[in-house]
Amino acid sequence: MKILIIEDEKELSSSIVSFLQTEQYVCETAHDYHSALEKTELYDYACIILDITLPGGSGMDLLQNLKANNKADGVLIISAKNSLDDRIRGLKEGADDYLPKPFHLPELAARVAAIIRRRSFDGSNTITFGDLVIDLMEKTVKNANRDLELTKKEYELFLYFVSNKNKVISKGAIAEHLWGDDMDLADNYDLIYTHIKNLRRKIIHAGAPDHIRSVYGTGYKFSTDI
Amino acid sequence: MKLLQKYSRINLVTSVMIFLLASIAFYFSLHYVLLKQVDEDLKTEKHEIESSVQRYGKLPDIIPLNDEITEYKETAAFSDDVTIHSMKIKGEDEELFRKIEFYEKAEGKIYRVSFAKSLENTETITKSVLTIAAISILILVIAGFIINRLVLKRLWMPFYKSMAIMKQYRIGRQAYPEFEKTDITEFAMLNETLNAAISKSEDEYNNLKEFTENASHEMQTPVAVIRSKMDVLIQDENLSESQSNIVQGAYDAIKKLARLNQALLLLAKIENRQYSQRETVQLDKLAEEKIAYFNEILQSRNLSISSSLQPVQVSMNAALADILLNNLISNCIKHSKSGDSISIILTPNALTIGNGPFDKPLDGSTIFKRFHKGGNSNEEHGLGLAIVKEICMVTGFAVNYKFEGGMHLFIVSLRNI
Repeated sequence: MKILIIEDEKELSSSIVSFLQTEQYVCETAHDYHSALEKTELYDYACIILDITLPGGSGMDLLQNLKANNKADGVLIISAKNSLDDRIRGLKEGADDYLPKPFHLPELAARVAAIIRRRSFDGSNTITFGDLVIDLMEKTVKNANRDLELTKKEYELFLYFVSNKNKVISKGAIAEHLWGDDMDLADNYDLIYTHIKNLRRKIIHAGAPDHIRSVYGTGYKFSTDI
Repeated sequence: MKLLQKYSRINLVTSVMIFLLASIAFYFSLHYVLLKQVDEDLKTEKHEIESSVQRYGKLPDIIPLNDEITEYKETAAFSDDVTIHSMKIKGEDEELFRKIEFYEKAEGKIYRVSFAKSLENTETITKSVLTIAAISILILVIAGFIINRLVLKRLWMPFYKSMAIMKQYRIGRQAYPEFEKTDITEFAMLNETLNAAISKSEDEYNNLKEFTENASHEMQTPVAVIRSKMDVLIQDENLSESQSNIVQGAYDAIKKLARLNQALLLLAKIENRQYSQRETVQLDKLAEEKIAYFNEILQSRNLSISSSLQPVQVSMNAALADILLNNLISNCIKHSKSGDSISIILTPNALTIGNGPFDKPLDGSTIFKRFHKGGNSNEEHGLGLAIVKEICMVTGFAVNYKFEGGMHLFIVSLRNI
């Protein structure tokens, strides 16, 4: 699957590429309006990560152009302008999601994965991972038809891990994913630890292998190979 | 002391002083002039007596009059001396007279002639003139005083109006004060100066706001880059434990920076009226949602929460309502220790969020200030309550702090002020 990253800040762009570039995704980049326009007109992408402020033009114009050409590319807007107007306008113009800067890369990866899932027309609403089956509609995880009975937070956490397979996710990124950016509180690392402990317990209890492991003090990793 | 009072007092004191001095001077000069007149009369009388002696060889007969006394006395020696002086002569009443004395030879004898003229008329004139003068000056002073009070009050009106406008004025509230036109140069000057000062401070205020917003914007990109680089860095399998710890420290710091930046941007946006769109917000529902949202954190920190929510609708920006509740509750959680309780009370008049127990009150004058950090926590940026205050200000609410029953209470008055 091809992903286009339209971002003028080259350092950020390269970080995104090195994080997303896996066996699953092929990343291309554009650093200004014109090269981005050229690429979007020539190729189709599973998802376009779009910055609003670009040299040579606005990301909004690119978005309008895409929609005018009936392109089916999913679009995720990333913007430093975390203004409500931008968000509403972007979504109205047909963007799939909006992520304000500064974001955590695992969050970006999860959003991209969600967009691609929503846009793929294979009709299934499930993700299979080993013996584990995630039902996106019912928001459940089953192992050989046995429901893991995850809480809402545990389900979100599990999906987050699955969207970031084999990646170390920092505790901060997990906190922001679970509680959003609004919670103006000091770290809830203890709470994260509790949730992860419970999640692992439920996975093991359901008879599935434990994929989650702690990485020193920084975060957690969901490994496909154990 | 009011300017008007001070001015009136000075005016009155000087008027009375001048009046007194003038009266004294007037009295003396009038007295002098009238006395001179009487003296002239006395000299004329002397002259008449002399010419009578020359013509008839004897002193004229004495005609007794009330206000004139003529006396002849024989003396031994003749003298050329002529004296004029005032004296009191006892009659029915004691009366003041002016008397001329000289020597005259008649019928071979030497007489000492004295002729006295009553000064009563002179005194009467002096007195009545002085009385009239005194009354008219007094009327003048009183009239002046009253006119001053009435007219000056009216004249000063533009000044008081400008002051009232300035009292209402708050910087950055967009409502630019408009002063009434006045044809009095001083007040026009005052208004002009006030206008200039206002537009200058508004400019500076706007510059500062713009600066804050731009600085926060510009800071977002490097923060985003740093965070993304660290997200990539921790993917490295070869990271040692000590390196991981270093990275975690950097993560926490960058999180704080990102939050601070976000808060600054939010403040700038609220100030710039970017959240001016209002809608009906069901505050009790929102509070319930928030309590549910924070429930997990509250439990993990062993805090109890009690709420009493009446159905309340307010007209405000929905995003700001969310942030308002969020910040107030977050603030209570941040400053609570295990076992403490938090209470949320919503009535149609006020939203009260408090936590406790505590021993002593906070300093109510500083807690809503920017970058004010209560306690010694280094985790906070000190903008949470400043944002609350700003939200209340743009919405037309008022927020106050109260210490009651060992609880820190933050009271948002919902009645638009």
